[in-house]
Amino acid sequence: MSEVEFGTVKDATVVTDTLVAGGPEETPARRGPLKQDTGGAEAARRRKNLINLTRPWLLLAPSLVVLAGLLLWPLIQVGKLSLQDYAVKFGGGVGTYTGFDHYSDLLSSSLLWKTVLPNTVFFALACVGLTVALGTLVALLLNRLGATWRLICSIAILAAWAMPAVTGTYVWIWLFQPQDGMVSQIAGSIGLIDPETTNWFTERGPFYAIATLNVIHHGFPFVAITVLAGLMTIPKELYEAGELDGANAWQRFWNITVPTIKPVFLVVTILSTIWDFKVFTQIYLQPGGDGSNEEVYNLGVFSYIQAFAKNDYGAGAAAAVLLTLLLLLITIVYIRTLFRQGEEDL
Amino acid sequence: MKRRVIAAGCIAMSIGLTATACGGDDGGDGGKATDGKGKTLTVWIMEGTNPDARPFFKEAGDAFEKKTGAKIKVEYQQWATAQKKFTTAIEGGAEQVPDVAEVGTTWVPQFAETDALVDVTDDVKKSGLGDDLVEGLKDAGTLDGKQYGMPWYAGVRSVVYRKDLFEKHDLKPPTTWKELQATAKTLKEKEPDKVAFPVAGGAEMFAAPFVWGAGGELATESGGKWKSGINSPEALKGIEFYTGLATKDKVSPAKVNTWTEKEVGDAWNKGEISMAIGGNWTPKAIVDANPDLKGKLGAVPIPGENGGMSKSFLGGSYLSTFNTDKKELAWEFVKMLTTGDFAAKWAEQTNYFPGQNSELKKIAAKKDPLVEPFAKQMLEAGATVPKTKAYGEIQASKVIPGMVQSILTGKASVKEAADKAAKDMDAIFAKDK
Repeated sequence: MSEVEFGTVKDATVVTDTLVAGGPEETPARRGPLKQDTGGAEAARRRKNLINLTRPWLLLAPSLVVLAGLLLWPLIQVGKLSLQDYAVKFGGGVGTYTGFDHYSDLLSSSLLWKTVLPNTVFFALACVGLTVALGTLVALLLNRLGATWRLICSIAILAAWAMPAVTGTYVWIWLFQPQDGMVSQIAGSIGLIDPETTNWFTERGPFYAIATLNVIHHGFPFVAITVLAGLMTIPKELYEAGELDGANAWQRFWNITVPTIKPVFLVVTILSTIWDFKVFTQIYLQPGGDGSNEEVYNLGVFSYIQAFAKNDYGAGAAAAVLLTLLLLLITIVYIRTLFRQGEEDL
Repeated sequence: MKRRVIAAGCIAMSIGLTATACGGDDGGDGGKATDGKGKTLTVWIMEGTNPDARPFFKEAGDAFEKKTGAKIKVEYQQWATAQKKFTTAIEGGAEQVPDVAEVGTTWVPQFAETDALVDVTDDVKKSGLGDDLVEGLKDAGTLDGKQYGMPWYAGVRSVVYRKDLFEKHDLKPPTTWKELQATAKTLKEKEPDKVAFPVAGGAEMFAAPFVWGAGGELATESGGKWKSGINSPEALKGIEFYTGLATKDKVSPAKVNTWTEKEVGDAWNKGEISMAIGGNWTPKAIVDANPDLKGKLGAVPIPGENGGMSKSFLGGSYLSTFNTDKKELAWEFVKMLTTGDFAAKWAEQTNYFPGQNSELKKIAAKKDPLVEPFAKQMLEAGATVPKTKAYGEIQASKVIPGMVQSILTGKASVKEAADKAAKDMDAIFAKDK
């Protein structure tokens, strides 16, 4: 009796397995030997294991090939380049291996530690924090609006998102244009600044403050839309229960909304971090951002100047690798947090 | 990767062109290179020099076809991105570079070093063109005695001013630095809404004349090695005077600290400038954009410290041939464009100066008050920047603008800023040997 039971259970597993794997035509062949002798069952299981092992990879293969071609190969090339001195030559350049010289030069430069890295990190932190905060506030607003106003506001937000970074940056530059820009004129007319002697783009703080406004303006719509999607999945009952328990809006937000859609916040925070670390356009296009003012270099601009202004492709590549490693580190932290989250839920 | 780029280039070329496709010509009859029947030359020309270059190249193309049987295909390039495009094409080799291209004089050292450009010294001699070339311009494209192309046109910066404002306030065009300073201060006082004399932080070629005018050099060469001269006592004096116009005399407000020549041009067009360094091509561009200023502009060479002239950057373009299998035919086309009728016509349409003395003298003889001062500057006080690939990199990494800006914003003294610039320049010189 027990043996029969055992057999049925086993059969059942086999059936579900093959169903999951999607190969029903294998079932009869496998069921046959299973009843006859255990040796055949062993072989079948091994084959099944093999199939189970290879099938996901086979299915993943096309996208892996594309990713390897588009991302991995250039990454390897950049890594290779960072170990070389590269000279452009007619019909193909020549690279001479120099070991880790570019890295030691890079890591021993005071420009990197005093200017480039602090600019990159603090700018990214400010942008991420403010983008997520503003995005969430806008999402909460959208969530409470009626259909018409939500549509109107969404369109306005999406317009900010859809604006190319170059166009957006020029608009912000115009607004803060010394003496002639709208903000400068207002600040001048209420006596905050002397327009004649104020140029915000030459000082590190104001320069990055303007860039931060620009990046937030361009980045918050993504956060708002994503968080809104999350908000709409939260059951109304939770809030009703909260209200019955006497929780005020502030408490409802922190004790219901935030924990429920924590994964959404994680995703938008990490993605924003990655984006804001590698900001280039918004910095490079601002007056003085194209290399003439060393004080405002960030990693992207620094790498660009090394590679394409000084034609020192190796040093530029080394800076790019450094940026990649930084982002990789952040991504690993992100993925680990996500997995830990998953385990907790189980 | 390289092969893929070439393959992509081949595809692009064979789609875009007919006869220049990879391996299209076998070039068997090497002796009769100028018989170009069935061949097409690819020509890269910079956009913007000639307001409308298309009719000009239509005419030139027809004339060339009549002469050699070969067609030309002109591809217009943007100044801002062309250098990178050239670099990429040079990496790709003979299939990707154009046969003939307009090459900015400051790019010649970089491209020549990659072996992409054809040394035409002997061809120039053979054609008897050598003696007629404007010296400063010929020099700009000659490295180690090898000339990489034909000077096509050139431009130079002098001082452009508002003649009407000068008359109104009874001012004369300055002839010394002291006069320049006094004039700018008067203009600032009498026309407070205008920028009296922009000390544009992003414009390297606004600062250079004062370095040269004080007897300094950007960099000097000895024994094949370059060394920065930007912190020499003479150069410091020039930088001190130039930046002092903004920091001490206040004739240039803070907004100008980050201006490049483009922003200066925009301000001219809005009528917000009283006097500025400006190229020979600017008066016409300003009047085109702002017809109100017609007849109200004047020009004068950049004054020397105590009279005479300060040298000014003599920039321009070469027509160079690249190492492709059609280089003899390409040279014929270059000769046709840089001499005689076509050269004169191009100069006339673009308001730039031709690269030949004979043509330049004809222009100077016309006594146009908006041309003559520039012609004088070009013939008597033109200067070139250091002829090395490294200097191109120094320009691209904005060493001089960075120096000027840090002085203007008070972050560094003249000496500190110049010492730092010299250090940066020397680092780049050392890297490129």
